[in-house]
Amino acid sequence: MKIVIIGAGEIGYDLASVLSSEKHDVTVLDREKECLNKVSDSLDVLTIEGNATSVKDLVKTDVANADILISVTSIDEVNMISGMIGKRLGAKMVIARIRSDEFSQDNAPLTPSDLGIDVMIHPELSAAQEIAQLLKRSSASDVINLAEDRMQLIGIRLEPDSPLIGKSLNEYSALHSDVTFRVVAIGRRGRTIIPNGSVKLQKYDQMFVLAKTENIPFIIETTGKKEMELNSVMIAGGSAMGAMIARILCADPSKKWSIKLIEPDYDTAEELAIELKEVMVLNGNPTDPDLLATEGISDMDAFIAVTDDEESNIISCLMAKHLEVKKTVALVSKPDFIPLAQTIGLDAVINKKVAASNEIHRYVRRGRVISVTELRGIKAEVIELQANEGSKITQKPIKKLRLPDGCVIGGVLCDGSVEIATGATEVKANDRVMIFCVPSAIDKVTKLFQ
Amino acid sequence: MALSPTSNLNRANIDFLVVLGVLGAFIFFMGFALMLPAFVDFYYGEDTWHSFLFSAAIAFVVGGALWYSFRPQEELRVREGFLIVSLTWLSLSLVGALPFVISGVLPSFTDAVFETMSGLSTTGSTILGGTTSDGFRNPQIEDIPKSFLFWRSLAHWLGGMGIIVLSLAILPLLGIGGMQLFQAESPGPTADKLTPRVQETAKLLWGIYVAFTAAEFILLWLHPSMDWFEAINHAFATMATGGFSTKNASIEAFNSAYVDWVIIIFMYLAGINFAMHFRLIQGDKGAFLGNREIRFYTLVIFIGIVIISGSLWVIDNYNILDALRYGAFQVLAIVTTTGFGTDNYEVWNSIGAFFLFLLFFTGGCAGSTGGGIKMIRWMILIRNTGREIKQIIHPKAILPVRIGDQAINRNIQQTVLSFFILYVFIFAAGAFAISLFGYDIMSSIGASIAAIGNIGPGWGDFGPTDNFAGLPYLGKWILIMLMMVGRLEIFTVLIIFSPAFWKQ
Repeated sequence: MKIVIIGAGEIGYDLASVLSSEKHDVTVLDREKECLNKVSDSLDVLTIEGNATSVKDLVKTDVANADILISVTSIDEVNMISGMIGKRLGAKMVIARIRSDEFSQDNAPLTPSDLGIDVMIHPELSAAQEIAQLLKRSSASDVINLAEDRMQLIGIRLEPDSPLIGKSLNEYSALHSDVTFRVVAIGRRGRTIIPNGSVKLQKYDQMFVLAKTENIPFIIETTGKKEMELNSVMIAGGSAMGAMIARILCADPSKKWSIKLIEPDYDTAEELAIELKEVMVLNGNPTDPDLLATEGISDMDAFIAVTDDEESNIISCLMAKHLEVKKTVALVSKPDFIPLAQTIGLDAVINKKVAASNEIHRYVRRGRVISVTELRGIKAEVIELQANEGSKITQKPIKKLRLPDGCVIGGVLCDGSVEIATGATEVKANDRVMIFCVPSAIDKVTKLFQ
Repeated sequence: MALSPTSNLNRANIDFLVVLGVLGAFIFFMGFALMLPAFVDFYYGEDTWHSFLFSAAIAFVVGGALWYSFRPQEELRVREGFLIVSLTWLSLSLVGALPFVISGVLPSFTDAVFETMSGLSTTGSTILGGTTSDGFRNPQIEDIPKSFLFWRSLAHWLGGMGIIVLSLAILPLLGIGGMQLFQAESPGPTADKLTPRVQETAKLLWGIYVAFTAAEFILLWLHPSMDWFEAINHAFATMATGGFSTKNASIEAFNSAYVDWVIIIFMYLAGINFAMHFRLIQGDKGAFLGNREIRFYTLVIFIGIVIISGSLWVIDNYNILDALRYGAFQVLAIVTTTGFGTDNYEVWNSIGAFFLFLLFFTGGCAGSTGGGIKMIRWMILIRNTGREIKQIIHPKAILPVRIGDQAINRNIQQTVLSFFILYVFIFAAGAFAISLFGYDIMSSIGASIAAIGNIGPGWGDFGPTDNFAGLPYLGKWILIMLMMVGRLEIFTVLIIFSPAFWKQ
C-alpha cells in the first residue's frame, strides 16, 4: 500500500516505523529537517520537507496515488486542512489526528466527513480510556474489550505464589471446566509464546486470557489474585492525558473516585483545578517524596504516572509500589522500556503510540478487519476479522483448518452471541472472529478470511 | 451615558467642566422629579406646591445651563465616570433638599440634605420627629405636608432605580461593584448585561422595577387600612429597599397582617438581583432557582426567621403566628436593608435581638436595590476562609474558590477582601466618630451600620422608635457621607480620595 504520513513527531515516527516494517511504501512529510533526518536515517521511507497545508508540497508526496493519507501533526487544524487537501488531490482514505472532541459529538455542526476525513484518531484519549479500564480491573495488566465489549482479553502476571505455576494449560482448563476461556498468548522473559495445551505456566509469566466479560472476575481468581476495589487514585502529571484520565474517572457513573492530581506547572495546575471540581489538584513535582508523603500516597489505591518524562514515570511508580500502592500504571513510550517495566514489578504500562497504530492498522490490513490491538510487552496482536462469504475459514471446523504457526482463534461473535472457540467451532460467513497471532503470521491469517 | 476606557491623548485625564456638564444633565432631570410632588399638593391642597415648582425651576436653570455650556463633546473617561457617579448622589441630595428649606418644613439645611440623601441612598433614616442639637423641633412625620411625604418616597424610588442601573449597567464598565462579582458567578455573557447595549439593559430593568412597584401598590391599596397615597408611598419605599414610611410608627401603624406579609414578599423580591428577575420572566426558571446567591440569601433569611421568630415565640411569649409575622418582617427589613418597622426589636429577648443585630451586616444580592456587604461577598469570604483551612492541610494543593460550578477569579477574591476590610474600617471609624458626640456603644455602632449599610434604623438612641434629629450637625454630615459611601459600594467614592486618581 502507498501511505503518506504528515508529521514526523512521536506518533508519526512510530507509525512510519511500523508500517515500513510491514513492507508498505511510506512517504513522510514534515516541516522540520531534523525530524525528517531522524526518520530517513533509521527507516526505509521517503522523506519530503514541506508545509503540511501547502498544496504544492502535498503534491510532491504523490498523495494523488496514495491509498491512505495519515495526518498526525500536533495541531488539529493543520491535520484537518492537510486532510481536506489530500482528499481533493485524490487520496483514497484520510486519517487525521484530532484531539478536540467537538467534532465527534452528536449534533456537531461540522463533522469529520464534511472535512473529507474518513477516520479521526485521538491517541491520548485512547490511552486514557485504557488506563481507566485498568483501574476497573485492578489485578490485570492489560484489558482489551472485544466483540462489542462482550468479550475481554486480560493480561495477568503470575506471581510466584499463584496456584497455576507448573500446571499445563490443559490441566488449567480441566480444573475449571465449567467456564470456557482460552489462554491465547504468554509473554515469558521477553519471548512471545502462542501456546498449545501442553505448555506449562511459570512464575512471572504474562498470561493473556480471553473470556466472556462476565467470567473475567472468576478467571482472575483462578490465578490466585484478588480483584480489589479501587477508590482513590493519584495521577502524576496534568498534561493532556492526565487531565483526560481525571475527566473520565469523574464521569464514572458507577462510583465516586477520590482523585488527586499532581502537576508541576502552576498555570496548568490552576486551569485543571478550576475545570475539575472533584479533583484535588496539587502543584509540585510528582517525584518529590515529601509531597507524595504529605498527600498520603500510601493510602492511595492506585498511582498513575503520565508525565512527559518516562523515566520519572517509572521511578515514581516504583516509589508508589514500594509504599504498597495496590496498582501502579506508568506511561512509557520507548518500546525497550516496556518489558523492563514489567519485570521490575510495575503493574501496567501504557503507550499512546500503540493506541495510534492500533487504530491505523485496521485500515492498512487487507480484508474486513474490524479492530487490531497490539499486546504490550509481547510480540502479538489481537485482530478482529469478519469472515467473507466463501472464504477458507468458513469451510471447515477450526481443528481441521491448517492454521499458520503462531496463531490462535480465540472467540467468535455470531449473530450477537459470543463464544470461546474450541476445535469443533465452525465459522460462518459474516461472523466476527478474534484471532491472536504473531506479526509474521498476520498475512497468512487474513488470507483465510478472503 | 457612554463610558470609554480608551484614552484620548489630547485631553487631560479629568476634565472638570465635562463632569459639571454631565452633572448638569442629572440636575436638569431632577427638576422633572421635583414637579411631581407639586401635583400631589394640587390634589391635597396644602399649599406647598410653590416650593416644589420653585426648586424645579432652580434645577432646570442651573442644570440646563451647566449641561448647555459644558456638555461633553466626546466619550467620557473612566476617571470622569467615577467622579460623576459620586458627585451625582451628592449634588442631587443638595438639589432635592431645596423644597424642605424653601417651604420651611425643615429649618436646617443639614437636616434637609440628610433626609434627601437618606432617601436617594435608600437608607430610610429620618430626622423628623425630634429636636435638633441646637433646639429646633422638627415636625413629626405625619405632620408634614403630603407632598413632602411623597417627595421622600419618590427619592427612595428614584435612588433605587438609579442603583439598579448603576450596579448592573455602569459600575461594571468602571470595573468595580457587586455586579463584577455577579459576573464571575454567572456563566456566559448574558446575565451581567442582558442586552449588548447598556441603554437597553437599563430599560429592561426599569420595566421590571416599575412592574413590581405597580403590583405592590395594587396589593396594598386593596387593603382597607391604606389609601392610594399610602399604598404608593410604601410601594416606592419597599421596592427601593428604602424604609421611609408615611406614619410615625412605620408599618406598625397599619396593624394588619395582610399589609405586613405583602411588604415581606416585596422586600424579599427587592433584595434579589433584578437581572435574575428578568431571566425568570423570560422563562429561565433554572437560572433563577439555581442561582447560588439567591439560594444563600434565602437560606440566611430562613435561618434568621427560625431563630428570631422561634425566640419570640418561646421566650417573649408571642403567639406563633405573631412571632412568625413580626420575626419575618424584621428579618427581611434588615437583611434587604429596607428598615421598615412593625415591632421594637430593642425590647426583644436578647437572642432574637442579637441575631437581628448580626443581620445588620448582611445585605441583599448584588444587582438588587439592597445595600450592605451583600450576599455574594459573604459567600466568597466564607469559601475563601474554608479554602485557607484546607490549604493548611494540603499546602501544595490548588484550591479554587467556587460559587456553584464557577471558580472565582483571584482578583475578584482580593477585591472582595479589600472591600470587606474597608467596609469594616469605615464602619468602625464612623461608629467611633459618633461616639465622640457622647453616644453609648450600641447607639454609635447602630448609627454607623445603619448609614453605611443603607438600613435606616439603628440601635440605642437611634433605634426603630427614635430618630437622628438630636445628632449634632457634624455627626449628620458624617452619616450623610457614610450613606453615600455605602450606597456606591465604597470603591467608587474612595477612589476619588486616592492620590493616584488625580495623577496625570
